[in-house]
Amino acid sequence: MSEKKPGDFVEIQLGRRNFLQIVGMTGAASGLGLPVAAHAAAIAAVAHSAAPAEVDGLALVRFKVNGKAQSLKVDPRTTLLDALRDHLQLTGTKKGCDHGQCGACTVHVNGRRVNSCLSLAAMHEGDEVTTLEGLGQPGNLHPMQQAFLEHDGYQCGYCTSGQIMSAVALMKEPCGPANADVKEAMSGNICRCGAYSNIVAAIQQVRKA
Amino acid sequence: MSEDTSSVTPLPVVGHQYARVDGPLKVSGAARYSSDHSFPGMLHAVPVCATIGNGHIDAIDTRAAAAMPGVRKVYTRENIGKLYRVPKSARDAIIDERRPPLEDDVIRYYGQYVALVVADTFEQATAAADKVKVSYKGQQTPNVAVKLSADERPKADTERGNPEAAFASAAVKVDQTYSTPPETHNPIELHASVATWDGTRFTLYETTQAIVNFRGVMAQMLGVPSENVRVVTEFLGSGFGGKLWPWTQAMLAAAAARDLHKPVKLVVSRQMMFHNVGHRPQTQQRLRLGATHEGKLVSLQHDYVYHRALECDYSEDCGEATGFLYSTPNLRVTGGFAERHVGPATSMRGPGAVPGLYALESAMDELAIALKMDPVELRLRNEPAIDESENVPFSSRHLKECLTTGAEKFGWAKRDPRIGSMRKDGLVLGWGMAACSWIAERFPAAASVTFNADGSVRVASGTQDIGTGTYTVLGQMVAELAGVELSKVNVVIGDTNLPPGPISGGSMATASLVPAVAQATRDAIDKLLAAASEGDSHFAHAATDQLAFAHGRVYRKNESPDSGRRFEQVLTAARRGHVEGQGKSEGTFGQPGKKEYSSHSFGTHFVEVTWQPEIARLRVSRVLTVIDAGRIINPLTGRNQIEGAVVMGVGMALFEETHYDKRNGMAVNSNLADYIMTTHADSPDMDVVFLDYPDLKLNEMGARGIGEIGLAGIAAAITNAVHHATGVRVRDLPVHIEDLLASKVA
Amino acid sequence: MEPFVFSRATDPGKAISAAAKSSTAQQGAEVRFVAGGTTLLDLMKLNVERPTQVIDINHLPLADVERTSDGGLKIGALVRNSDLAHHPQVQRDYAVLSQALLSGASGQLRNMATTGGNLLQRTRCVYFRDTNMPCNKREPGSGCSAIEGFNRTLAILGTSEHCIATNPSDMNVALTALEAIVVIRGTAGERRVPIGEFFLLPGDTPQRETVMMPGDLITHVILPPPHPGARSHYLKLRDRASYEFALASAAVVIAVEGGKITHARVAMGGVGTKPWRSPEAEQALQGQLPNEHTFATAAVAALHPAKPQSQNGFKVDLAQRCLTHALSTVVA
Repeated sequence: MSEKKPGDFVEIQLGRRNFLQIVGMTGAASGLGLPVAAHAAAIAAVAHSAAPAEVDGLALVRFKVNGKAQSLKVDPRTTLLDALRDHLQLTGTKKGCDHGQCGACTVHVNGRRVNSCLSLAAMHEGDEVTTLEGLGQPGNLHPMQQAFLEHDGYQCGYCTSGQIMSAVALMKEPCGPANADVKEAMSGNICRCGAYSNIVAAIQQVRKA
Repeated sequence: MSEDTSSVTPLPVVGHQYARVDGPLKVSGAARYSSDHSFPGMLHAVPVCATIGNGHIDAIDTRAAAAMPGVRKVYTRENIGKLYRVPKSARDAIIDERRPPLEDDVIRYYGQYVALVVADTFEQATAAADKVKVSYKGQQTPNVAVKLSADERPKADTERGNPEAAFASAAVKVDQTYSTPPETHNPIELHASVATWDGTRFTLYETTQAIVNFRGVMAQMLGVPSENVRVVTEFLGSGFGGKLWPWTQAMLAAAAARDLHKPVKLVVSRQMMFHNVGHRPQTQQRLRLGATHEGKLVSLQHDYVYHRALECDYSEDCGEATGFLYSTPNLRVTGGFAERHVGPATSMRGPGAVPGLYALESAMDELAIALKMDPVELRLRNEPAIDESENVPFSSRHLKECLTTGAEKFGWAKRDPRIGSMRKDGLVLGWGMAACSWIAERFPAAASVTFNADGSVRVASGTQDIGTGTYTVLGQMVAELAGVELSKVNVVIGDTNLPPGPISGGSMATASLVPAVAQATRDAIDKLLAAASEGDSHFAHAATDQLAFAHGRVYRKNESPDSGRRFEQVLTAARRGHVEGQGKSEGTFGQPGKKEYSSHSFGTHFVEVTWQPEIARLRVSRVLTVIDAGRIINPLTGRNQIEGAVVMGVGMALFEETHYDKRNGMAVNSNLADYIMTTHADSPDMDVVFLDYPDLKLNEMGARGIGEIGLAGIAAAITNAVHHATGVRVRDLPVHIEDLLASKVA
Repeated sequence: MEPFVFSRATDPGKAISAAAKSSTAQQGAEVRFVAGGTTLLDLMKLNVERPTQVIDINHLPLADVERTSDGGLKIGALVRNSDLAHHPQVQRDYAVLSQALLSGASGQLRNMATTGGNLLQRTRCVYFRDTNMPCNKREPGSGCSAIEGFNRTLAILGTSEHCIATNPSDMNVALTALEAIVVIRGTAGERRVPIGEFFLLPGDTPQRETVMMPGDLITHVILPPPHPGARSHYLKLRDRASYEFALASAAVVIAVEGGKITHARVAMGGVGTKPWRSPEAEQALQGQLPNEHTFATAAVAALHPAKPQSQNGFKVDLAQRCLTHALSTVVA
């Protein structure tokens, strides 16, 4: 692939579909109907000659996760969630629906809470990502983690990672003082065990501290 | 009645609030759930699901999928390898879908697994699964009809007197039919299996509420001795019954691991969870209540039908509590099923009782209205002296106190029974109530307790913590019995290598563990005393029976316990690393023969809803629940169980229903945006009161279960409140906005 | 998910020329821009969207909110929903937009979703989202599964015999009431499309939802200066209290002078195949006394063209209540 130039349209990944771009994409979405194996082989060959360093069809992502620089080569289809869990073994972040409908996968990107299941890992070049593991560990818990512990702000613990990440992000978001305000702001995190009142109590304790 | 047969004697540890011992792991992401396990060389499996609901597979073309990048193998019926059926009668190997996956080419429900793709990565396996081409033949419209009529003549669960005649001549009657929709458990943790095979033994990391049963099922289905199967569930992201018995993804993962000699991970998608891992079946229930003008029940008939999947025999026993909740000389409960082309149904939190009490407690509310009587008063007037269904006394029943305490704390006396008559802050208020009950029994259990020379105590049992707090209550039990600090107790569960523990189902894990743990602790203490007698010079020449143990210390019986030696000193002096005691207890659940007592928990819910007619907005604003469930071992985690059930009950009453498309049987709302569950914003202000009367006939701590009872009755309490606010009686759950638009309350 | 080439655009021109190679910018587009990803990734996982190339536009300089010379607001396409909702000028001058944004989705999704992406949000019709079922929007000519199927949440306004899918956005309803302008840059340069012309009715081409052409990049949304003295409000009705799409919603902008309504803009959500502007309601309000009778009359007029399906007839009543209450609230 061609050199990366600042201000240019930068290819950071070379996959089999690069073939389309190299040979010129047509309206017929060339190749979609080809048998996949043959297609992949053909592209790999083209890609090889063009950019030997990136023939494996993986996207390069360099980002900071919990303060530590990481450089990952991932399938472009890999979500931020799966990259954290499968590539960095940060399994504290959970998959509950994979469609942004439960909040279990909530992490911070550049200090803001997002659903990591609806974001590609490749979109996070240069970002700072924080997961539950990055907040604190047993013996050195973040005040929000401690508050969840004291208030029994969970039952099974599976949605807890997302709840706590949302709760910590909430501290910096505009949110009214009432329990109802916290409940509305936290509604993107489903707790099927229904530990909601304890979660709200934990958050309010930290907010008032 | 057994009012106040036992007063509460405070104990040092049990009965007090403790933060969960596993809490630091849960709040920091260090608690490992099944899908968090990963091994070198692990492969990822993704099932292919049927896209018809009734018919046969004609052919499966796996060529395109097999040629996709990273694909290791595509499995169908042809090459999955041998998988065997579990016999219906197997008590130690229970499964709802006994047909092994991929066994034949018959499609019995939409979404049924028809193939499996295994690839290097999740992305590759997912993409390849989409490329498996399945063609079908003999395709017919599946029967997913909502209206139910029993396929066979319904059977009587329980009956007494002459209910028809008594109903016919009753002064006041209610005859109504209620229905509850299919509900999907939807724990936030996806079902998952990580299977490893070393050539002889399987180690399976599973999402299960019953590791020991899981091992039994997998040994049978894989055709290996059970000692060659180890099941591990360190943490479970809840289950609500949906993870009680194994589902077929586990056999697929294990079969692929066996064939490929590689660890295989299979995580069931949220969409698949609406078809392949159980649901609460739809029910339709006719209630006929007859009473005197004074509100005395003279006849109660409860006839229910539920849907059942093909080749499955799960029963939804809606009459679970009907036979004994109220006193009436004439009663009959019958149950029947109607087969449907849906995935297998299974137990969901409070199976039977939860839909059953929605119907019964709605009918009781309708009867109270017909009688112009307060619904609390109606229930008080029908309190039985004994379980009239079994003709035995209750082990401990305080429903009357649940009614009166609840009414008092809620402020029920201020209720104006006229519809739409109560207002607050511009909103119409509705107040409703209902009673509830749930069985209190024990399963068999075994446990070991170990005193270690480092001053710690270990308790181990092959049970699991599904979020109810088993780690913590086990720790509390041992801290109590061994007289040590809770922080000194290590709790080890979640592994079939441990002494076989109880399932986490039926709200029975805690009650089942008490006798086994108590026995193991006593056994360990006996061994400690023997070690002191034999090996600790401090107790030289003291026979074992001259020694005693209290508060972590061994002492001579004729001296003060404070003069004794800490157990770690005794062990060190005796040059023993540890002493281990074993305990085992039989179950009471499902045992043949007539019982001496009827053991159940009881409770009441008092609910306030707000109704804003101009925009048809209904919200549950306040719930007070009073629970009589024996001694509560940890009120912090206990209250959480009840509140969580109330939160789920708000969903049951107002939101939850699985819709099957009548053309292909597909669950059309198979995601968490369309199958809506209670959010933070929907959760009401809640208060929970535990009466805390120990039920010492069940176990020595008097603890019953609390996982399910909170969901029983709550939907009726809500719909009764909805009726009070709006005048609309909803007999088909959930309450929809469209139902409420008919309200005349302005 | 199908394989695709992932690339990052740092210059709008290059992004546009790359996307222009797509045969369509509507359903079936081979090239997709990704910003928040909340709709695109969701649909790619379902194989409803199957682009062969995904261009990350998050680094384009389109994340500012600026005042226009005439007192309006120019909103960059990459401004996140949460930032727009909390922007002081939006809160002050365009309350309906802030309220609509905050009623949508969740805190996390609002941090991700962008102004441009929200304009292109796709329907939540369950049959559109399931590739095993016929859907004219997804596979033109295959049929509509919703008309005979589960249609409780679907549209009652702007439907055709080919499609009854609802536009699910809250933001778009507010933008419609505010008469926003969508700024699009394409291969032939920049054009400004009034929001009322941006969305298309399904008709017999439900796969075409907007005027977007291959290569088109939404760069900004322009809000005209607030109408003097006008107040605005957004009301959303749904089954649960939060984190759910609307069954019915209403965005209203009303000015009252001398006791009479002098300016009325009404749009509705959850009921239309596109964000639904109601000239009928506006006409019924214009020049009238701001009272319950006027509002009820306007609500009836707004829903007059409704064509309910088997399960969503209740939306007529619900939407009328919603609009009536939104109007009462805004003049209170």
